[in-house]
Amino acid sequence: MAIFDTFGISGSGLMTHRKWLDAVSDNIANVNTVRRTDEDAFQQRMVVAEAIEYGTGEGGVRVARAEFGNAEGRLVYQPDHPLADEAGYVKYPDIDLGDQMSQMIMAQRGYQANLAVVERATEAYKAALQLGKG
Amino acid sequence: MTFPIGAIPGIGAAIGTGGVAGIDSTAAVNGTGAAGGDAFSSILASSFDQLAATQANADGLAAQAATGDLKDVHDYMIARNEASLATEMVVGIKNAAVSAFTEIMRMPI
Repeated sequence: MAIFDTFGISGSGLMTHRKWLDAVSDNIANVNTVRRTDEDAFQQRMVVAEAIEYGTGEGGVRVARAEFGNAEGRLVYQPDHPLADEAGYVKYPDIDLGDQMSQMIMAQRGYQANLAVVERATEAYKAALQLGKG
Repeated sequence: MTFPIGAIPGIGAAIGTGGVAGIDSTAAVNGTGAAGGDAFSSILASSFDQLAATQANADGLAAQAATGDLKDVHDYMIARNEASLATEMVVGIKNAAVSAFTEIMRMPI
């Protein structure tokens, strides 16, 4: 990664946004996952991005850790549900689908932006390699 | 014989190891020619090594893609991109060196 540093940096951005997309898809996949009221609800997955300081010789970003959302969930009255308790309640995850959709758009756009950087950097390096050939 | 080989390191070093090394190498061009000949061949060898490593990386990722072990699609695309750029660059350095040499060989004495 000595000459074409941009590729490594953009690659780390792509990786981070890919992991964010993974987290969002996990949340959306489990948006209707029902649990018993005495269990923890499905917890929303959140990735925490962290900058790799440029002074270390490599720039970019990485996923520092995954955070988990509210385990309380929300109680829904569904007495016919096989997992319902005596009072007729089940536990749904505390995930807002609209919020997940907007996060998905942000992750997708971030991924595309990093790809655009790779493309532009390739063009720039190619133009530099043409120097003096004409 | 020492002079034409000594004149080349400036080209190779400036492209091969980045801006800071390029500044240093201009001093080497003005200095002794015999030492410069060694520097150019070692720079060329190291850039070939680097190129081989980049291509091996891309090949490894291609094999992973074929076997289904590849975790990130963009890793392979970037590695392939980088390998092709590095190849272009090393070939460019080689062409520049060879054309400089032939230019000198054509010089009427």
